[in-house]
Amino acid sequence: MKDLLIIIPAYNEEKSIMRVVNHVINDYPQYDYIVVNDGSSDKTARICRKCGYNLIDLPVNLGLAGAFQAGLKYAYRNGYEYAIQYDADGQHKVEYIGRMLDEMKKGYDIVIGSRFVTEKKPKSLRMLGSRILSASIKLTTGKRVNDPTSGMRLLNRNMLKEFALNLNYGPEPDTISYLLKSGIKLSEVQVEMDERLEGESYLNMARSMKYMFHMVVSIIVIQNFRKRDSKYVKTERTE
Amino acid sequence: MMTGVFRVVLLLASIGTMLFMLKRIRHAKIQIEDSLFWILFSALLLILSVFPGIADFMAGVVGIYSTVNFIFLFFIFILLIREFSLTIKVSQLENKLKELTQAIAIMNAEKDNKDDEKEKEENE
Repeated sequence: MKDLLIIIPAYNEEKSIMRVVNHVINDYPQYDYIVVNDGSSDKTARICRKCGYNLIDLPVNLGLAGAFQAGLKYAYRNGYEYAIQYDADGQHKVEYIGRMLDEMKKGYDIVIGSRFVTEKKPKSLRMLGSRILSASIKLTTGKRVNDPTSGMRLLNRNMLKEFALNLNYGPEPDTISYLLKSGIKLSEVQVEMDERLEGESYLNMARSMKYMFHMVVSIIVIQNFRKRDSKYVKTERTE
Repeated sequence: MMTGVFRVVLLLASIGTMLFMLKRIRHAKIQIEDSLFWILFSALLLILSVFPGIADFMAGVVGIYSTVNFIFLFFIFILLIREFSLTIKVSQLENKLKELTQAIAIMNAEKDNKDDEKEKEENE
């Protein structure tokens, strides 16, 4: 068994799933992968079965957080050391996982595949959202996260266990902010991401506004009141 | 106009609600997105009790003589909307639960069938 699991949550990705998964299987055999079909209404699950992919097939739609957590539970139960979230629409690139893993081995708990470590953030409306989130995190934790909305997050064993077993550990910027505040070590590695080739982005204008509002209130107000369950916090760090 | 007593009651109720919600969040008993409504709700109560002028003004705008009546009407309306969205959510939850139960039961049935066939083959 390999020590890194690529978790690929997929919701109605029949057009891109084969291209994405075949790329991982053929070009990166050093990693394991699992597709989590999030109750898709299209042929995503059937394609995965036909091709013999490793598949967790959720019978109902749980949303990204629930689907990703299912993948993490699988990783936890099967003893993986690392797990990474990887989009099924082909935005993420596997070639950066190695670099992120190297960074993690320097002693980090979470490594974000970030678009804006060395690159500058463009001045678009979408990036305004990203800036507001970065600023909110900076305000409450004092730490800089350049790309808080990047979906490419690598977790070590402690983190994946914590994410897998707890409530309110969605793969979102507010969880990152909360964990940073409670003292975990986070690093970012510069990556490139592709634009979506097919399908529509989940976020339209109204959803984006709601998302931003939710995240900002959560980061600035709510996360400050959370208590971290001590049973998941490792007191001694092995470095 | 609101009486002083009513303002104090509003103030205490809003602070109480907020503290209660935050305590629940602290011990991870509620999902954050579900707590968001109540945080905002208690914040709104707090604002109205600290600045009663806002309620006076709004009562005037919609043509209600008594500010207190405006506050009642306003919160009843908010809670009605909340009630409706909760009904939708419960309904979706029930449906998901039904589908889950069916999926598990069907999976088990298929597994049983396979086991039975295997047993038969072994016996023959």
